[in-house]
Parts: sequence; C-alpha cells; structure tokens
Amino acid sequence: MNILLTAIYIVFGVAALLTLWRIVIGPSILDRAVASDVLLTEVMCVLGAEMAINQHTRTLPVLLIIAAVGAFGSISIARFVARKDNVDR
Amino acid sequence: MMIPVLATFAGAPFAVPDSPVTDATTPLDAWLDAAALVLILLGALLCLTAAIGLLRFRDVPTRLHAATKPQVLGLILICLAIALSLRSWPVVAFVVPVVLIQLATAPLSAHMVGRQAYRNGTIEERALIVDELAESRQTPPAAGG
Repeated sequence: MNILLTAIYIVFGVAALLTLWRIVIGPSILDRAVASDVLLTEVMCVLGAEMAINQHTRTLPVLLIIAAVGAFGSISIARFVARKDNVDR
Repeated sequence: MMIPVLATFAGAPFAVPDSPVTDATTPLDAWLDAAALVLILLGALLCLTAAIGLLRFRDVPTRLHAATKPQVLGLILICLAIALSLRSWPVVAFVVPVVLIQLATAPLSAHMVGRQAYRNGTIEERALIVDELAESRQTPPAAGG
C-alpha cells in the first residue's frame, strides 16, 4: 500500500514540474494559458486524492469552486489576447 | 498529514499505523480502499500524460488536445476514488456536481483557446488537412475576437 502511495506522490510531483516547465518556456501566451489550466486541474486532482487518502471531506467546497470558476481564466486570456503576439514565428 | 493520528494515539501502547488507509476493518473496506488508491494512481498518470504531451507537442491545438485529458477523465477517476474511499451518499451528492460542472466548462475554455490559437497564428498550417475556418479569416467577423 505504501508503494502505491509513493508512486502517486512521485507521479503528481513530476507532472506538476513538467507543467511548470511548459509555463516557463511556453513560446506564446496561449501555451502558458493551456499549461496553467492543466496545473489548476492537477491541483484539483491533488486535493481530491488527499481527501480520498486521508478520508476527510474538508476540501470538497474548494473542489466545487475551482471546478466552477477555473475555466474563466483561460477563457478571458483567450478572449483578450492580442491578435498577433508572435509575428516572427 | 499524519500528525492528528499521532496526537490521537499519543498514549496508546500499540504502534501507530504508518498509512492512514490501513485502518480498514472488513475485507470489503480494504478492497474499496485499494481500488480508490488505484483510481488515484490512474488519475495521476493522466496528469503526467498531459504534462508530457504539453512538453512534446509542437503547437497550441495539439497541446490543447493533450491538456484536456485529465480535465475530464482524470477528475472523474479522482471523484470516483473519493466516493469509494469515503463511502457516504452526501459525498457522492457533492462530487457529482463537481464532475458535471467540469464537464460543462472544460469544452468552453478549450474552444476559446483553440479558436484564438487559429486566429493568432500559433498553429502549424501544414499540419491541417481540413481548414473550415479559412474564409472566416479572410473576412473577419465584425465582432472581433
């Protein structure tokens, strides 16, 4: 059982680090928006996994709020980004 | 996260279990906890798949394709794990709207980002087989965007 828990921690950590690396090096702002959306989804998954592992329900409202308002970030970025932000590509 | 367990069992003569999940009483509980852990591992692997896809793919729509996998399927797996681990109907009634809201809002952001990526030029034109938005780029809509 502890091997499974360790595997879960390692996989979540590596996924978060890779997503952060894409946020850092992303060539356009839309890449960063997509990567930050993935990072927010992973925060939701980590909160839910922590609830399921430790068997409490304290972060269920946080999960609901993030699911409700998490999409507005990338929607507003996609709506108000400039028409051409990498002309030299 | 194991500190409350230590505080509760501070004066107990027996050893504190090192994993909070191992306090299952019946074999059914043990199997349900193990299934919840396997579901969490699958969700974590979907997050890892999305991260690898974000790093390996070339332009915004392909990265978006990789990114929307854990947003729906990974969250469904994690919510199934929550329901299997906690085993109470109010938790299920709380988790189902989370999944439904995520199912409703994930295509919204993906659609907006994909449309803006097409207009923005952050897309490989050679990789397109069918370009249904070509005439809308020649005569842009009056609303802008």
